Amino acid sequence: MILFKNVSKIYPPNIVGIESVSLNIKPGEFVSIVGQSGTGKSTLAKLLFAEERPTRGKIEIGGWDITNIKNHEVPMLRRQIGVVFQDYKLLQRKTVYENVAFALQVAGAPPHRIREVVPLVLNIVNLHDKHGRYPNQLSGGEQQRVAIARSLVHQPKVLVADEPTGNLDTLNAREIMDLLAKINEFGTTVVLVTHDRDMVNRLRRRVITLEDGKISSDVEEGRYKL
Amino acid sequence: MFISTYRVTKFAFQNFWRNFWLSVITITMLVMTLLTVNILIILNFVTNQAIQTIEDRVEISVYFHGSAPQTTIDNAVDYLRSLSQVKDVQTVSAQESLDRFILIHKQDEAIVASLEEIGGNPFGPSLIVKAQNVSDFDFILKALENPKFSDSIRQKDFSNYSDVVTRIKNTTDRVRTFGVALSVIFLLIAILIVFNTVRMSIFIHREEIGIMKLVGASDRFVRAPFFLEMILLSLISIFVILLIVYPLIAIFEPKFGFFIGGESIGLVNYFEQNGLMIFGLEFVGLVLLTLFSTGLAMRKYLKV
Ligand SMILES: Nc1ncnc2c1ncn2[C@@H]1O[C@H](COP(=O)(O)OP(=O)(O)OP(=O)(O)O)[C@@H](O)[C@H]1O
Ligand SMILES: [Mg+2]
Repeated sequence: MILFKNVSKIYPPNIVGIESVSLNIKPGEFVSIVGQSGTGKSTLAKLLFAEERPTRGKIEIGGWDITNIKNHEVPMLRRQIGVVFQDYKLLQRKTVYENVAFALQVAGAPPHRIREVVPLVLNIVNLHDKHGRYPNQLSGGEQQRVAIARSLVHQPKVLVADEPTGNLDTLNAREIMDLLAKINEFGTTVVLVTHDRDMVNRLRRRVITLEDGKISSDVEEGRYKL
Repeated sequence: MFISTYRVTKFAFQNFWRNFWLSVITITMLVMTLLTVNILIILNFVTNQAIQTIEDRVEISVYFHGSAPQTTIDNAVDYLRSLSQVKDVQTVSAQESLDRFILIHKQDEAIVASLEEIGGNPFGPSLIVKAQNVSDFDFILKALENPKFSDSIRQKDFSNYSDVVTRIKNTTDRVRTFGVALSVIFLLIAILIVFNTVRMSIFIHREEIGIMKLVGASDRFVRAPFFLEMILLSLISIFVILLIVYPLIAIFEPKFGFFIGGESIGLVNYFEQNGLMIFGLEFVGLVLLTLFSTGLAMRKYLKV
């Protein structure tokens, strides 16, 4: 599903994001990317949804070579990849429903499809009863669930989550992790960037550890080593 | 396609209202620019009309001796009509010539007295020659010295308006230069203000733009509302300028008429007939201007 071949990302002037990273993530996998701060985890995630372009190497997603993806092709990629962040990235002036609908609107979806899909994904994240609220009327965990619902509207093959539980307490974090696991069970490949040792250990899925921009370990059913 | 257009339009209107004062400032500047342009158009029309009116009155009266043979007079008429500088030649009978001469010179007692002394009509027929342009005046006078008929000419009368016309032209040229300079300055300020409006708008919406891009909005979908917002501002500016210009010319038209002898100069009429073209072109120009500066601002501040 996701293929990295000797991928390096060097930020100008000469800052290493990641260096010579090679990996192969199969469809339906749930992969955690762990490592200390500044080791290139977010860089790796950004390369996946083409927020950054690799300096060297080759990246493929679902057979699509996105190494030198053109600017006008990026929206097509983004509609096939769900993204979730630590800071939720919700529009404060829009309701829960509108925030989720927004992702469909910008892609030009017809109104009847929006009326159909939005309640569906809000149901998955268990927020259908709060669809009229604004983000500041929700807890952090609920806001993150809205963001996840939004990332699901295009039924993405891949979900990239960069520290989705970073701002949440243990209980809320667990809920989010359970949700990601549920989405993974539906068949979506999940790439999770995290600091959270307990979460990773609980998951018992593949763990890739980064150190100074390089992969230092990659184990199936791994545990967070540090 | 339709649904996207609707959404883009909605976002554009939201931008407009949410940055209301920014919109007002932008419109003000666009209106100022348009105002100078329209004042230039009015100035141009009024001075052309004034010069036209004066030139219409420029004429040379050519009086022939009573003894002048008809063929000589006919020759003179044909010759004058063949000149491109001559607009019109009118022939006047002997009696009419006398009346005309007396009318023109009735203030000059010496001339009136000498006419009475002569008794009878010393005039032959005369010609009234109208020039195409004030500047052709001298040429026509020279042409009248043609030996074929110059001996038969008793007198040439003319009122020389060329000084007046030169004065009008000089003044309006100065005013026009000033006006053009002012429009250029306003134009540059307008470009800067539109640029800044878009920049602010991008800044205000940067979070929204970031999220739009993250969830897969296309370039066009992100950019279109900004362009549309500026077209909207241009449209409003054109309406504002319509509301300013029409009353303005209606009020000032009689005043201009006074300068050139009381007749209406047809300014309102001119704008009524050409308004669609004038303001249509201004709108197109304005849209090009705003789109240009919007594009500039987006190139700099909106990395899509
Ligand atoms: N836009 C950028 N320009 C320059 N350097 C950058 C940029 N983004 C990241 N870096 C650098 O690249 C390296 C990797 O950053 P990255 O954000 O990928 O780390 P991370 O593993 O996500 O860290 P954290 O756990 O703190 O989020 C760091 O040294 C960082 O300073
Ligand atoms: Mg990070």
